[in-house]
Amino acid sequence: MVFRNWVILCIMVCALVGCSPSYHWSKSHPMYQKAPYSELAIAGTSEAFVLTRSSWFAKKFKWSPDSIQLKATAFCKDVFLNELRRAYPSFEQIPDANTKNFPEESQKLDSRIFMKGRLPEQGVMVKDSSGKTPPYILLLHEFIVGTDLNREDYFDYARIHLENTSKKTSKNLSAIVSYTLWDNNKQRPLFSAVDEIQRPISTPTPNDLEALVRSAVKQIRVNLYEGARK
Amino acid sequence: MRFSFAHIILALVLTLVGFSLGQETYFNSHPTVWKDGEVLIWSLDADPALDVKEFCLSLRRFNAGIGDPKCRLLGEWERDSVALRYASWLNANMDPNLDPDYLRARHPAMQAKFQALEDKTVLYIAKNGDKLNIAVFDETASEPKAAGQIHISPDKISMGDNVANMFFDRDAKRRLSKEERQKLATEPDEYFQEVPIFKGWVGIGIGYSQAHIPLTPDDWTESHTKSTIRNYRVTKDSVSLWNFLDDSDPFFSVYAGGTWYDFIGLELIYRLAVHNMKTDPNDTVYKELDHWKFYQHEIGLNAMLSRNYKPLKWLDITPFAFLGFQYSFFVEDIGLKKKVKTPSKAYKTRIKFEEAYKGALIGAGSHFILHQHYGLGLRTGISSRGRDMYVDPSPDAGAQPSMIGGFTLDWFISAGLEYHWTL
Repeated sequence: MVFRNWVILCIMVCALVGCSPSYHWSKSHPMYQKAPYSELAIAGTSEAFVLTRSSWFAKKFKWSPDSIQLKATAFCKDVFLNELRRAYPSFEQIPDANTKNFPEESQKLDSRIFMKGRLPEQGVMVKDSSGKTPPYILLLHEFIVGTDLNREDYFDYARIHLENTSKKTSKNLSAIVSYTLWDNNKQRPLFSAVDEIQRPISTPTPNDLEALVRSAVKQIRVNLYEGARK
Repeated sequence: MRFSFAHIILALVLTLVGFSLGQETYFNSHPTVWKDGEVLIWSLDADPALDVKEFCLSLRRFNAGIGDPKCRLLGEWERDSVALRYASWLNANMDPNLDPDYLRARHPAMQAKFQALEDKTVLYIAKNGDKLNIAVFDETASEPKAAGQIHISPDKISMGDNVANMFFDRDAKRRLSKEERQKLATEPDEYFQEVPIFKGWVGIGIGYSQAHIPLTPDDWTESHTKSTIRNYRVTKDSVSLWNFLDDSDPFFSVYAGGTWYDFIGLELIYRLAVHNMKTDPNDTVYKELDHWKFYQHEIGLNAMLSRNYKPLKWLDITPFAFLGFQYSFFVEDIGLKKKVKTPSKAYKTRIKFEEAYKGALIGAGSHFILHQHYGLGLRTGISSRGRDMYVDPSPDAGAQPSMIGGFTLDWFISAGLEYHWTL
């Protein structure tokens, strides 16, 4: 009898595991062989950062509720850029004017995961502020900051229209980042991904926010490295 | 095909030479080759690697059915900046390891250009070092339908031959007129037609039936199949005809049917079988008898549910399940030996069956259809014969003798050759 119960349990577990959706959160181009090592440019930072639950953050950080969105996103952006600048010796920022006119397209990462973002045109090399053409550009599409966020709620097309009825919790500070590593020489997306970063908190401070953005950058770098096909 | 022997040899030699010349096809989904078609040569380079006129002659040399194709340079795309950007992008990105999906044109204006091609074929050529990148486009997609590369040689004629051999060797199809194209474009999805798709078939088949249903215990039918008849009418139990008749016999069948929407259908069937009576060999009364058998004629109507699968271009597999009713008629064929002048009394009072039995059929099977018309049908099922259900039992039913063969059940399997058509 014990054996039979075990079999039933195993079957139930298999059924449960089999039914729950498993997602692919990144996609590599077949020709993505080597992650950028020292040289990287970034684009899209001016409109990518979004803060959710801004009044909650305003209360906790004791920042003015009127300016919290601007102040917090600028804060995150600065941390993000500084962190990248430390990681890549020759780091460039692409002016917004150079990328803003590209149409928004969606990239399919998985049968249910679609990621929206602006991609440069085929056959057009993007120039940085000094007129040079960097070989790799990290296109930052979205950087969502909040508490206890799940990337499924934002990127699974079957779930994005659902109303979230569960009560908002704040056990973790979370960030959801979607980005594309762009091969500027051949104008193709080398690596696209959606990352989710969670950081447990008790009383949130701007320092926690800074640490969150830092771990997001770290996560991006790890993924860029692991996404390359050796 | 109007290929002459010399052409085949030439093609073979060129294929062999192709390997040594670094000729490589990355992928080829075999876009339609049109008879008397238009091939637009889209060259990235100011000096195209192929000669337009010579390429047209190459096409005619390598594809006898291609008719009189027209070739020209696609100047309007060569001057267009969006097309130019995509062309140079494609030249930089073409690689044997990339699927066509990775080579898709993303710019909406470029996609619109491909969609507006109608039935023209675009042959993209671009020099890349000492190689020539080649891609074939048509109106159906904004990614190449076929791609490859060859070595550039100063002999433009032989390069044209190579390209024609790589991508234009398929049977050419007739181009549609403007009205035909328009009709095809506005034609609704076939499952939304006002007149449903009807698929019909006729077939003849042979089969085998027996009283014992496979995978059931033997003793369910043993009492029937092992029993024999004494004195022309005595048997242990008369509820099943298999107490009197041999049950395991081949049968012949003719059938015709049809389905609507590949889903629901009707089928009329006729079956013929011959069964010998199981006379008791120990009974001396049968010495006068030459033969005693029954012809079993059955006419039935099946309702069926089916589904169509097309694993290969020339093969349709249509599994189905059916449920139906049938009428069975047993026609007696009895003969005495020639010497016997007057039959025995038992012969005159021998067992008689009902004039007709009504029964049901249930089963499943599949059609395997080759080239849309020639089918093989396999099926198996269970059929029954019993009393007519529409007759109300009379109040004194208990006093009446029970009906002979009131519950006759058998299992059958059959195979048939069929002809199918679609309306």
